[in-house]
Amino acid sequence: MTAYLLIGVLAAAGLLGLLVARSPIAARAVAVGASGFVAIVATGAMLRTSMEELHETAVGLQFGELVVPLDLGTSRTTAAIAFVVALVTAAVQIYSTWYLASDDRQGIFAANVSIFSAAMLLVVFSRDLVLTLIGWEVMGWCSYLLIGHWSRKASARRAALKAFLVTRLADIGFVLGVVGLAIGARTTRLDDVVSTWAQASTCDALGACTGPDAVLRNVLMCLLVIGVLGKSASVPFQDWLADAMEGPTPASALIHAATMVAAGTVVLGSIFPVLAQAEAARWLLGIATAITMVLAAVLALGQSDLKRLLAWSTVSQVAIMLSALASAPAADGPGAGLFHMWSHAIFKSLLFLALGLLSVIVGGTSAVALRGSAMRSRLGRWALLFGLLSLSGVPILVGGVSKEHVVEEVYAGAIAAGPGMVVLLALLLTVVLTAAYSTRAYLVVAELIDVPATIAAEHAVPESRRHRRQATLDPAGRGAANAVLLVLSVLSIVGGLAITLRLFEVGESSWTWTAVTVLLIAVGCGFAFALAREGDPGVRFVRGHSGWFDRGFGADTAYLAVARPVVRLARVVAFLDREVIDGYVQGAAASTRIAGALAELGHRAERARLGVWLVGLGLILVLAVGVLPWR
Amino acid sequence: MALIVLVGLPLLVGAVLVVAGRALADRVSRGLALAAVLVALGVGIGASWTRPSFDVAWLPELGLRLHLALDGVSVPLVLLTVVVGVLVVVLARDSMPEGGSPATVLGCLLLVEGGALATFAARDAVLFFVAFEVVLIPMWVLITRFGDPHDLRARREAGHRFLLYTVIGSTLMLIGILVLVTSAGTSDFSELLSAGAELPRGRQLTIALLLTVGLAVKVPVFPLHTWLPSAHTIAPTVGSVLLAAILLKMGTYGLVRLPLASVPEGFAVIAPWLAIAGVVGIIWGALVCLVERDLKRLIAYSSVAHMGFVVLGIASGTEIGLQAALYGNLAHGVISALLFVVVGGLKSRWGSVDLGRVLPALREVAPHRGFFLILGLAAALGLPGLAGFWGEFFAIVAAWQPADLADIAVMRTCAVVAAIGGLLAAAYSLRVANLLWIGDAHPVEWSLDEEMEDSISSSSDHSTDAGRGAGAGAGSGSRELSTEVETSGGERLVLLVLSAGIFGLGLMPWWAMDVMAPSIQSLIGVRP
Repeated sequence: MTAYLLIGVLAAAGLLGLLVARSPIAARAVAVGASGFVAIVATGAMLRTSMEELHETAVGLQFGELVVPLDLGTSRTTAAIAFVVALVTAAVQIYSTWYLASDDRQGIFAANVSIFSAAMLLVVFSRDLVLTLIGWEVMGWCSYLLIGHWSRKASARRAALKAFLVTRLADIGFVLGVVGLAIGARTTRLDDVVSTWAQASTCDALGACTGPDAVLRNVLMCLLVIGVLGKSASVPFQDWLADAMEGPTPASALIHAATMVAAGTVVLGSIFPVLAQAEAARWLLGIATAITMVLAAVLALGQSDLKRLLAWSTVSQVAIMLSALASAPAADGPGAGLFHMWSHAIFKSLLFLALGLLSVIVGGTSAVALRGSAMRSRLGRWALLFGLLSLSGVPILVGGVSKEHVVEEVYAGAIAAGPGMVVLLALLLTVVLTAAYSTRAYLVVAELIDVPATIAAEHAVPESRRHRRQATLDPAGRGAANAVLLVLSVLSIVGGLAITLRLFEVGESSWTWTAVTVLLIAVGCGFAFALAREGDPGVRFVRGHSGWFDRGFGADTAYLAVARPVVRLARVVAFLDREVIDGYVQGAAASTRIAGALAELGHRAERARLGVWLVGLGLILVLAVGVLPWR
Repeated sequence: MALIVLVGLPLLVGAVLVVAGRALADRVSRGLALAAVLVALGVGIGASWTRPSFDVAWLPELGLRLHLALDGVSVPLVLLTVVVGVLVVVLARDSMPEGGSPATVLGCLLLVEGGALATFAARDAVLFFVAFEVVLIPMWVLITRFGDPHDLRARREAGHRFLLYTVIGSTLMLIGILVLVTSAGTSDFSELLSAGAELPRGRQLTIALLLTVGLAVKVPVFPLHTWLPSAHTIAPTVGSVLLAAILLKMGTYGLVRLPLASVPEGFAVIAPWLAIAGVVGIIWGALVCLVERDLKRLIAYSSVAHMGFVVLGIASGTEIGLQAALYGNLAHGVISALLFVVVGGLKSRWGSVDLGRVLPALREVAPHRGFFLILGLAAALGLPGLAGFWGEFFAIVAAWQPADLADIAVMRTCAVVAAIGGLLAAAYSLRVANLLWIGDAHPVEWSLDEEMEDSISSSSDHSTDAGRGAGAGAGSGSRELSTEVETSGGERLVLLVLSAGIFGLGLMPWWAMDVMAPSIQSLIGVRP
């Protein structure tokens, strides 16, 4: 019941919002009202749901012998994730009423956000592979619309296209994985899929095997993992997320911090028992996320634009969540990764929204522009501080609690079989780098260091002057935005209580690892401070190669190198279609016409004598036919 | 009785209108046509509910009967035909193609509709063939006489190619039908289900080959598809809508009724080859769409790609596959109709829609038309929640586990290739969206406000397609194209109905599935 209500209200708000998009007040009212209602209901559901699963069977389909029940279900963890999605949606809708107040398409934006959240909640509540796929794809589409919201800018159009196509490429794997799993289990119901595929495969001496085909299971889970890597912006699909910062900051806060990129964690979490059995898939996920988390953290440290720094930070943190799923031993479950997803949603959306507030004040998101901006807004400064502390993993704060549990889970996996050791090393290195870039970000905005104006801000995302003007004109709206930041800040501090509320199934925390984490954070901060003696630590870090960092080490060029041959092939195909295949048809048509023309010519040139001879010939033939049989 | 009215009324009124031509006043012919299609709509809905049957002897010496009836497979297509019939008449009232009298146009539309209804309602193989052929000439008239007014030679070319190809296909189909009917001793579909399956394997294979190749022209299946792009480009908007929404459906319907149902063993031998042709068509069509400049031609090639999924579903030989194929068939009819109405309106105002030049962004100059365009493109790429998803996804599911496990390697490869086709579909759909919906041109007449000043002056330009120009510099190109391209009242009504259809088929698939399921089981289940 709750699942239907939440998804239905948001979807209806989205469609209604499209109809009333012309009137900003109506659109805002619909959007804020719906998302607020959903957030309240979701909070209640989270606090109320007991540990058991509740299943709600919708109208199902039957395709031959494949059963497609289209079920939704709730559990403790699911309700918690739904809560955080609803919370961030409401925060974004309220914040956007201020941030996009002078945007002529704000109604459309609000409606798209509503539809997007409905799709994410569909993924969260889904207990059916087809519903998961539906929510997954619709989210991708809404992100195309939201990233390209300011579609009058060429760079925004390109970024939206890139995001959709890169994730769609990865989704080939996702679709095939879902297809294979569903066929194997003869149903798309998640419980049955898990119970069919999660059995251990054993073969006795005679070669008779019970349980599912282990090779096929590995292949299918690898395909599914590839799909997840795409949406989560992990190597090799990582480059779309930084470019997606072309979208408005509230959209980035929702999609690229809190929900879409984390949807992969939710999906793999729901199918975790099968993943735990698929060795190859775990290694694939583990290696990819290990590379990603370090790479992204390095890139974050060297970005010249702070919004892109947060984007790369997201890539790194999402890789951390997924690595927990890759390494966790089968008995432990996906709790640690899901808890980190939950806390990341809170502190990352806080960071994006706070950065948005500051960028409006100064009119840009580059490090140069944001220098010292925190001094102009007390709330902005404190919000940013708590967000960055959470990001670094300082204990007590929600980010610290979740990161610590991830570290412990990965350690547990490291001493068991699997990719745990590689992941653990990468994770520890990432903790250091995360602390370093968080410190750098704070040093820049709090103007504790000097940022030379000669940094090339090639890929900076300039928020327009219009927003700067509006910031001073709308104190009431600003109040709403401030309230949102306040709520998120508080949650980022006390969110660690989610553990005491037993919302996620995680292990016990250990003091050793807490101490190790604190030590690593100190190392990272120290590193940043050491570099800060000569100005922006980021500048010192890149040593003149800031362009290289800003372009993500050339990943975009690599993507184009994949896309260009396809277009060249397309030209060849078009040529063949026109000249070769159609050539036969044209030839046939031409030869028919020529034959007709020749016949016409022959007919005209016919003389009477020829006709008489032909008639005579015909007569002889007929006589012969008539006479010969008598013989 | 209802079926005779359903089939006969459009044919009769169509014939009257064509014969009368200019003798009838404009208003009379339009009113007559509208009345005829509305009656057909009502009767069609009623007949789909009650499922009557009509059976009289036609040529007793040859054992042929005039047998009309509707079953689960034909009902959705009949409903699609009668609804599209109303929509094209409404559309024709708004934008009548030039080249002759309106009565002729409307008459041809009605004849096509009547022929299609007769095809879907026919229960006798020879009657099916006759009805199949009825739509040929009116369609040819629409293409050659009322097509693109700019280029006479192109019209004749397109008409020739359409006629030549379709007649060759029909000839092969006719030979196949005659061999089937004489071998099995009956021409009734219900009897052929069992009689055909008892034929020897070699005979079944011959029949299946003839029928499949003949019908593959109409579907169209790669490599017999080249008639479709030129036909679509030249045909007027109403002609394109009919062609996409009705004629192509007849081909797939024929594939299901004739080779699949009647000669299953023979068809099972051909099935892997059909699947391969289908997925090659998906990739081929999608690749051409990546570089095609004429938008109508692009939508035609995307039809080839969509039909590839339908063919893949049929070739899998399972119930899932057939259900997916028929659902995808239905969905494609609605989606293509929508896209052709949107693009047809642009073409009539701009002369041609060339994606190679800078076009005004529809989102800015004509938001309603832009909305329908992006809806159609989203549906074309198979977005869930819209009509195209169910057919495409479950065709891949069906190919993963085909009926004949001997072919499983081939079919699974086809499933993987089809999934890659999904990516290419997204690529070309968004290519069109980025060129036409959000576009590269801002009409220079607008007062550039600060946002656009910022973007034009400061953003480093990342435009993709090389050689297209960028930013404000290319704005002058759009001055030649009118920005008054918003939808008219009639167009908007038509587009709303089609959009409702797309959402309905996307969000509530069980309606059509439940209607089709029993008939599908009977078609597949009679296998030995």
